[in-house]
Amino acid sequence: MPRLMDIGLDQLNSMLLDMASLSQSAVAASIDAYTHAVTPTDVRKMADRLQTLHRQVSDLAMEVIARYQPVATDLRFIKACMEISYGFFRYGRYALDIAQVMEIFGDLGRCDRSPVVETAKLTEDMIRMSADAFARRDVNLARRIPDMDDAVDERYRNNLRKVMESKSNPRCNLANVLIMRYLERISDHAAYIAESVDYIVTGVEPPD
Amino acid sequence: MLETMSSQEINTMPRGAYPVQVPEKMEVLGLNVSYGTKQALFDINLGFRPNKVTAMIGPSGCGKSTLIRCLNRMHELVPDAKVEGKVLLDGQDIYGPDMDPADVRRRVGMVFQKPNPFPNMSVADNVVAGLKLAGTKDRGHLDGVAKKYLERVHLWDEVKEDTKRSGASLSGGQQQRLCIARALAIEPEVVLMDEPCSALDPTATARIEQLITSLKENYTVIIVTHNMQQAARIADYTAFMYLGKLIEYDETTKLFENPREDLTERYITGKFG
Amino acid sequence: MKTRRRLVNRIFLSLCVVALLAAVVPLVSIIVDVASKGIGAMNLDFFTQLPPLACTQPPCPEGGLGNAIQGTVYVVALSSLIGLPIGLFSGVYVSEYGRASRFGYLMRFLGDVLAGIPSIVTGVLIYTIIVLTTDSFSIIAGAVALGTMMIPIMSNTTAEALKAVPNSIREASLALGTRKWRTSLLVIANAKKSIATGSLLAVARITGETAPLILTMGISVLWFGGFTVPVASLTYFIYYFATSPFQNWQNLAWGAALFLMVIVLGINMGVRLVTRGKRVYA
Repeated sequence: MPRLMDIGLDQLNSMLLDMASLSQSAVAASIDAYTHAVTPTDVRKMADRLQTLHRQVSDLAMEVIARYQPVATDLRFIKACMEISYGFFRYGRYALDIAQVMEIFGDLGRCDRSPVVETAKLTEDMIRMSADAFARRDVNLARRIPDMDDAVDERYRNNLRKVMESKSNPRCNLANVLIMRYLERISDHAAYIAESVDYIVTGVEPPD
Repeated sequence: MLETMSSQEINTMPRGAYPVQVPEKMEVLGLNVSYGTKQALFDINLGFRPNKVTAMIGPSGCGKSTLIRCLNRMHELVPDAKVEGKVLLDGQDIYGPDMDPADVRRRVGMVFQKPNPFPNMSVADNVVAGLKLAGTKDRGHLDGVAKKYLERVHLWDEVKEDTKRSGASLSGGQQQRLCIARALAIEPEVVLMDEPCSALDPTATARIEQLITSLKENYTVIIVTHNMQQAARIADYTAFMYLGKLIEYDETTKLFENPREDLTERYITGKFG
Repeated sequence: MKTRRRLVNRIFLSLCVVALLAAVVPLVSIIVDVASKGIGAMNLDFFTQLPPLACTQPPCPEGGLGNAIQGTVYVVALSSLIGLPIGLFSGVYVSEYGRASRFGYLMRFLGDVLAGIPSIVTGVLIYTIIVLTTDSFSIIAGAVALGTMMIPIMSNTTAEALKAVPNSIREASLALGTRKWRTSLLVIANAKKSIATGSLLAVARITGETAPLILTMGISVLWFGGFTVPVASLTYFIYYFATSPFQNWQNLAWGAALFLMVIVLGINMGVRLVTRGKRVYA
C-alpha cells in the first residue's frame, strides 16, 4: 500500500527528471550554437525555468519533511534531491553563461573550435550519465563520472596553458577560455550529482 | 564509573562494533522467555549504556514489552512465565538464586503505560508510597521527599496549593508525572518506561519527553515505545525488535538515517507494521 | 408492519411486568403478613422477659423472648469471630496467591461447593463431631456450625472483592519494590468497603439459620448459662412456638419472626443503600 509520503516523493522525482532533460537541452543548445557558429535560441528561457523548478523542488522537499518526518532512505533521498536539483539548475546557468559569451564576443566562426567541441562532447556525456544515474539510481554508472571530471579538468588546464603561451587570436582564445571554464564547472556539478546518487543508495557520505 | 566516549570517538569506530570499554549498566545475555508453550523472546543479547536513554521499538507483538518487564522481574508475575538466560545489573545476574525480586525492583524502577496512581492516596502520599510501603514513618522526612520529587517532575507548582488532594483527581499527564515522581522517590538506578506517553495528549507527551531527557543526568532510562518518532526524538540508542528477536541496535541517529538491516529500513519508513 | 412490531413489543413488555409482579407480590405479602401478625407482640417484655409457660387456659402467662435474642446475638458474634477471619484469609489466598496454582484452583472450587451445602448437613456434621463427643448442646457447637457456613461465603465475597481491585494497583506497588504480603495488604485496604459489606451480608445470612442450631445449640428457657450448655435462639423458638397449639406462644413466634425479618432485611437493604453507585473497591 503506498504511503502518504510517496506522493510527495514521486513528485520530487518527476520534477527532477524534468530538470534533468531540460538542463541537458539547455547545454546542448548552447554547445550546438557554438559548434555551428550560430546564435543560440531559448537558452535564457530554459535557464529561468530551471531556476523556478529548483525553488519548487526545495519547497516541496521542506513540505515533505515537515509533514511526514521521513527517515532512512526517504530522508537521504530528499537531502539528495535538494543537492541534485541545485546541480541541474547550475547546468542551466552555465548554459546561459556560454550563450552570453557568444553574444558578447560575436561571430566565432573563424576560431579553432575543436578543443572546446571535444571537451563539450565529454561534458554532455557526463550530463547525460548523471541524469540517467539519478533516474535509475544506478550507482555503478554514477561512479564512472568522477574520472571523467578529472579528464575535463585536465583539458581545461591544458587549454589554459596553451592560451597563456599563444600570442595570436586574443578574441578566440578568451572566448575559448571562458567556455572551457564553464564546461569545467558543469563537469564538477556532474560529479557532485554522482556523489548524491551514491549517497541515496549507500547512505555513505563522500569523504571531504 | 568510566567516562562515556565522545561521539567523535564513537563515530570513528567501525560500524556495528560495540564499544566495550564503557561498562554497561544493564546487560541481557542469551535471554529466552516463554509463556507456557509460547515463546516470546528468542536469544536476546543487548546492553544498556549508563546515563543514556535507550529505546526499544517494533510492531505490536515483537516482544519489547516482555523484554522490558524482564529487566525488573515483573514478567514473572504472569502465570507460566519462564525465563532462561541472564540479565545483569552492574554485572550481577538479577535472576541469580539469592537475588530478591523486591530488591531488584527497588534498583530498577518502572513507569507503566496507563498512569496508575494509588486512588485512595493523596498526591503527596502517592509520591512517597514506595517508602511508606517499605515502612518509613517519619512524616517530616516523607514530606521533604514528596516535595523534592514533585519539583523534579515539574509538578510541584501545579499541586502545591493542595497536596492532600487525591492522586486520581489530576489530569492524565499530571498523573503520569506523579507516577514518575513515585518511581524516582525510591531512588532507583535504572528507570524503565513501558510506553509512558501512549495514553496522553501531545502536549502532555512533549512535557514528559522533556522530563525523560533530563532524567539521563541521574538515571539510566530504558523506554519502550510504539512511536518511532518519539524514539528518534529522545533516545540515544535504539533497538528494533521483530517477532521476539533483536533485529538491529545502534545509535539512534545512525539507525534512523542509515539502518543496516532491510527489515529495520522497511519498518521505520512505514512500509509495514 | 410497524404496528405488528409495536404489538410484539407490548406483549413482551406485559409478560415481563407480569413476571415481575409474580416475584414481588409474594415478597410484599410475606412482609405485610409478618408485620401485621407480629407487631402485636412487640413490647418491652418481648425484649426483657424469659419465655412463658404454655397457655392452656386464659389468662395466658406473660413473657418474652429476651433469652432467645441474647442467644442469637451471642452465637452470631461467636460464629463471626470464627467464620470471618478464616473466610477472609482464605479469600485473600485464592485471589492474591493462588490464582495460578492448582491448589488455588482447588480452594476456589471447594469454596463454591461448600457454599452450597445444605445447612442441615453442616448441622449434622457438627452434631456428630462436637455434640456427641462432649455429650451436650452448646454455643460452641452452634458457633462452629454457623461459622463453618460463613467461611465459604466470606471467602467468596473477599475473593470477588479483591479480584475487583484493578491489577494496576498490584503492579504499581510491586514495581516499587514492595513485598508481596505488603502489597496484598494494600489491595485489601482498597477493597475494604466491599469486604465489609460482604461480611455484613454473611452475618445476615447466618442470623436466619435454624437447622444447624437445632442440632448443635439446642434450646433453653433460661438466660445464657455458659459454654457447655444449650442456649436459646430466635430461629429455634420460632420453629418451636409456631408449631405449637398455644396462642401466647404463637404470638411470640410472630413477634420473633418480625424482629428477625426487620434485622435481616435491614442489614441487606442498608448495605445496598450505602454502596449504591459507589466504586466497588474504593
